This record gives sequence, structure tokens and C-alpha cells, in this order.
Amino acid sequence: MKSLVLFVQIAFVTVVIGLWAAVSRIGAVDPTILPPPAKVAVALEALLRSNDFLADSLDTVIRVVAAFVIGAPIALAAGFVMGENIGVGRSLSPIFNLVLSVPQSIFLPLFVLLFGLGFTEKLIFGITHVFFVVAVNAMAAVRQVSHGQVMLARSFGANRFRIYRSIYLPAMAPQVVTGLRLGVIFCIIGILLAEMYASRTGLGVLLLRWGESYAVDKLMAATVLISVATIIINETMRIWEVRVGRWRNVVENR
Amino acid sequence: MSLGRPVVIEARGLGKIYGIDRAPIAALKDISFAVEEGSFVSLVGPSGCGKSTLLQILAGLVPSTTGEVLVDGVAVRQPAPEKISVMFQEATLLPWKRVSDNVEFPLEILGMKAGERRQRAAAMLSLVGLSEFTERYPHELSGGMRQRVSIARALAPDPRIMLMDEPFGALDEQTRIKMGHELLRIWEKTGKTIFFITHSLTEALFLADIVLVMSHRPGQIVGTIKTDLPRPRTYEIIGSAEFGATRNRIWKLISQDDREVNGKGMASL
Amino acid sequence: MTIRRGLMILIVLGLWEAVRRFDLVSPLLLASPTEICGALVKSWFEYVVALRLTVTEILIALAFAWTIGIGAGMIAGLRPLLSETTGPLLSSLFAVPLIGWYPLFMVWFGIGITSKIVYAIVSGFFPIAINTMNGIGALDHQYLLFGKAIGCSRRQIVFRILLPMAMPSIVSGLRIGTGLVVIGVIVAEMLASLGGIGYLISYYRSIYATDHVYLGILLALGCAFAANCGLSLVERRFTSWRVMQIEER
Repeated sequence: MKSLVLFVQIAFVTVVIGLWAAVSRIGAVDPTILPPPAKVAVALEALLRSNDFLADSLDTVIRVVAAFVIGAPIALAAGFVMGENIGVGRSLSPIFNLVLSVPQSIFLPLFVLLFGLGFTEKLIFGITHVFFVVAVNAMAAVRQVSHGQVMLARSFGANRFRIYRSIYLPAMAPQVVTGLRLGVIFCIIGILLAEMYASRTGLGVLLLRWGESYAVDKLMAATVLISVATIIINETMRIWEVRVGRWRNVVENR
Repeated sequence: MSLGRPVVIEARGLGKIYGIDRAPIAALKDISFAVEEGSFVSLVGPSGCGKSTLLQILAGLVPSTTGEVLVDGVAVRQPAPEKISVMFQEATLLPWKRVSDNVEFPLEILGMKAGERRQRAAAMLSLVGLSEFTERYPHELSGGMRQRVSIARALAPDPRIMLMDEPFGALDEQTRIKMGHELLRIWEKTGKTIFFITHSLTEALFLADIVLVMSHRPGQIVGTIKTDLPRPRTYEIIGSAEFGATRNRIWKLISQDDREVNGKGMASL
Repeated sequence: MTIRRGLMILIVLGLWEAVRRFDLVSPLLLASPTEICGALVKSWFEYVVALRLTVTEILIALAFAWTIGIGAGMIAGLRPLLSETTGPLLSSLFAVPLIGWYPLFMVWFGIGITSKIVYAIVSGFFPIAINTMNGIGALDHQYLLFGKAIGCSRRQIVFRILLPMAMPSIVSGLRIGTGLVVIGVIVAEMLASLGGIGYLISYYRSIYATDHVYLGILLALGCAFAANCGLSLVERRFTSWRVMQIEER
């Protein structure tokens, strides 16, 4: 079955590229709007060798990683506390859920207004994207740790650290990883958006600039590159999610 | 094994094999029996022996690989909802419809007009004793009540034959016993032909005129037992010596088959 | 309960107003409720026009996203082979940051209303399709047997049994998808547009008119909230039985 799924995914990509090539070949579409795949491939190769492109990409990656590395641990801690401490959880979680249900991207102009156009503003924007989803998932993960198991371990004289490591960790791991995965995705979205909206460097700016100047081959190359990179990140984290949740014997949640 | 009435269902050499190309699994093998009009026949057998498959074939939901089923002398190839009603282990009531709408649903599909549908549904619900619950939703009812609605729904098209696949399996024992009594009362009142599948020897014997005993997979009929117990039947009959003896006969048939299967060292299920 | 909530809202509004009145926060960073209302009154017409454009875009995008999403989800969900192979594909594609594709959409569809609508449709499509597909695929086999046994045609089984059963899943997909559509439209307007609420927010930010920025964002949130309420109505109509079921517990 797994091989069939993989086959379908590869087939899908092949069919899309094939159609694209065919449509370009017969000239059905304006080549300034949709260049043939070959041209895009050439552009892609050029980009990967271009120092400027790599520099901008690095900027984006740094922002994403920084936002994640700062936001995720705080979110995990916050989520953990909210889950463990029922009082704190009850008062804070409605707020968190409210924030999650509200589209965060809409607040970007406000962020720019408040924090300016620099690295900090993007960082904070990215952090908010990471924070809430990771925290909510961490809280849910803590809540579902089996009370019975904890009491059993305590009756065996296990100290706090032992309990956290042997019981909490495995039980929480799958959901925490789900939260982290979503956090990375949301972070990428947030950073790209912030770059497109107001920035001088970064992939988002490049995309917007190329779009406005109709450098479509570069635009498509970069867009596809970013998409593929994100898919790889997503699937890798999914594999981790499944591995960590193996004890659950549950069909991987999609 | 005749009660002296016309045969309404006849199975001849039924066989069912799954997965013919890959690893073929024989679910049923050479099943033959006859059910007479107006009789109550139980089929009892261990889990996984293919009872449900047999019922689905009888209902025309699934084709058999070999053999055939005749109803009124005509081969069954697809469901015949005007003649045959099916009941499953789960009540399968549609949760978004009220009880009365649930009972009317098969009638709707059969094209009955609204007024007539309403009347029949009300009558059937009254028959199963749920007249006060017609406007409720399934989730407001207990398991036993849901199965009663399911019975009312199965009765609504006034079928001559009712096929039941462990309909009381999900209920607790006391409810099961009550439902068994209910079913017999309804059966005696309506005179339908009932084919009732169960894994409970007691239930099979208590309800039926004839008990068909089925073996492990591949399912075969290893015995046909006429119950010969007086009607109307009440719970006390289960304690009688006659009942016990007949039940032992059934048990012997089943466990013999069990020993054969295990003794030969074949994977039993 | 509602009195208490109303009181809390009044207190928050009061504090909010006070913070600005006493100049505790710079007018650049925060606009008080009165300032926001003032901005609305001053530019009333402009906002009406913008709102009309944005809402039109949202409604069109929703119409397409819902129909295409549910349709695709149904087709995939009805055939187990299809859903098992396309399900993972859809989930993977869902992870792609669609915002990255917006510049390309602008090239393909222009800066006008089309690119925004397309962007919003694609944003909303995935969760709707995925949830619909899962909802229909997860159906208990016995219900299918039941449908066949009472003589339902294939069409009847799909529309009278499967679809209503799958409604809770479909609605939860619609909820996520609708949110994404609304954000999609507004964010697209913020990035490159000549009209709409997103455009206004962006424009006023660039001239540091804080009161207008807050106003715009509140209106945007209002759109999201309204869409959500509309969806709740749909939910009530089609899945009230599920709501009752959960309440019973």
C-alpha cells in the first residue's frame, strides 16, 4: 500500500509537469506568463548557484529557525504548565483557543506599526505563529497522560524526574511533535508573509519582486523550491511523529 | 426436518470464497437447507464461521461463489426489500432522523405515499411498544429501544421473510431475554418467516422451531435440530430438562467440530 | 452570566480608553475606542466600498471552495482506493505555504479581484476536501449494507445516508476552510491590491494612521466572525443531531 501511495504521488508530479510541458509546447499559453519547464529548470539551477539568492534564502531560514528556536521551548513550557496546573489551564486556555481561531496573519500591519520593519518585528511575528499552536498541543498532550500510570510509578517510589522521563515523555511525544510540526509550517508561512509585506531581504521579497517584474522563470523556480522544501520538512516531521507514536498503535492521523 | 409447510427459502450448495486471486479464503462450503413458511429458524455457530456472510447471501447483498438461494422458487441475486427485511447487530438507525422517520425510511425508498407511510410506521411502533417515542432521536433511546425501532423498521414494509444477524448481540443479558420474548410475541402475531443468527445456544434454542448448527470456517451445516418445545415459550423453559438435553446435543455438535479442527492442528480461525 | 460578561467587556473598553486618554501609550501604538469610532465616522463611505469589495471576494471564494472541496472530497471518499492514495497526497500538499504562491498567482491572474479569489479558493480547498473525504470514507460498513438491503440505488445511498452521516466531518472541514478563505482574501489585499479592507489596512499603516489600522483590523476580524457565525447556522441545520448527542454526554 505504501508503495502505491508513493507511486501516486510521483505520478501526480509527473503528470503535472507533463501537462505543463505539453501546454507550453503547443503554445496554448503566453510564455511570459507560463514558461516551459525546461526554462524554469535552468533558472532553478542558476538560482542555486547565485550567491545573492543563497544569501536571501539564508536570511529567511535564519528568521524561521530563530523564531522556532525561541518560540517552541517557551510554548512547550507554557503548554506544559497549563496542562499540569488545572487552574492556570482553565483561565488561560480559552484565550489561547481564541487566538488560534483568529487569523493571526491579519495582524501583520499592526506588528509593523508597533515594531517597525526590522528583524525583531519579523521574529516576533514568527514567534506568535509558533507559540500558540505548539502550546495548545503541548497542553493537550499533558492532559492525556494517564493518571493511573503516574500513581503507579509513584507507588514504586519513582522520583519526579523518573516519572517525567518514563511516563510523561512517551505519552506526550506524539502530540507534542504534531504541535511542533504545525509550528514549523505556520512559522514558515508567517515569515514569508512578513517578508513579502515589508522587508528588504529574504525569499518573500524576492518572490514579490520577481512577480512584479515578470521574471516568471525565476519566480516559478523559487516557488517550487520553497514548496518542495516545506513538503520535505513536513514529511520528515510526520515520520518522526509516527515513530514516536508507535506504541499507540493508532493509524497515523492525517 | 419438516413442519409440513411450503418451503419459502431454499439454499442449495452455497459456497463463498473470498480473495480468489490472492490467498483464497473459503468462508462457506456447501451449505444447503430449507426454511418453511412461517417458521422460526435459528442458525448458531462459533464466531468467524461465516454466519454473517451467509445472511448477506440470503439477503442478496453479496453473491455466492457456488450454489444458489431460492426464495419462492426464484433465485436471489439482489435485495428484494418488499419481500425480505434484514436486521443487523447494530440498530443502524439514521441518527439525524426521528424514530418515526427512521421507520418510514424503507417505505420511502419503496415509493409509498406519505400518508400511508405515516400510518404503517405508527402501527409498527405501536406493535413494538414505542408509540410514545415516535418524535425522539435515536441517541435519546437505550440500546434495547433502538433495536425495537429497528424491528419496527424491518416490519414496516410487511415482508414475508425477516433475516436477523445477531440483533441482540450488543445488549445486556436481561434486555436480551426481554427482547427475545418480544420477538416471539411479534412473530406469533404476524406469522412471518424468521431466520435468526446467534452465537448463543440458549437463545437459538429458546426462540426457534429449528436450529441449524454451523461449523468453524469454512462454515458448513453440521446439524439440524428440531426444538420440539411447547409454545408460547417463557423463560422458565430454559431450566427444563428437555431444554438442557437439546442444548447439550447442540453443544456436542459444535465441540465435536471444534475437536476435529483443533485435533488436526489446522489453524482454527 | 451575560451580565457579567457585558460588565467585563465594558471594563476592558474603559481601561482601553483610559490608557489613551491619560497618554500612557503613544498614539502611534494604540488607538482608543473613541478614536477608532472617529476614524470610521470620518471615512464612512470609503470603508463601505472596501467592505463591499472584500465581502464579495469572500463570498465568491467561499462558494467555489465549498463546492469544489466537498465535491472532490466526495468523489475521493466514495472509492476506498482513491481515498487511500490521494489522501496522503492532499495532506502533503496542504503543508505547502500557499502565500509563497501568491506572487505567481498575481502574474497569472493579475492584481485584480481574480487572483485574490483564486488564492482564497485554493487556501480553503484542502481542509474541506480532506475532511469531506475522511468523513465519507470512515463510514460504518453496516450502513451501506442497510441501504442496499432496503433497496436504495447508489445515488440514494450516497445522498440520503452517506452524506448526512458525514456532515459533522464536512462541517469541521468547512470551518477550517472558511477561516482560511477569509484570511486569504484579506492578506492578499494587504499585499497587492487597489481596494478592499486589506488594502485600506495596509495603506493607513504606511501613513501611520494608527486609528484606521485598528479599525481595519477590527473590520477584518468582523468578517471572520461573521463567516464563522454563518457556518454555525449551517452546522445547526445539518448536524443538530450531533450537537445534541454531544450535549447529552
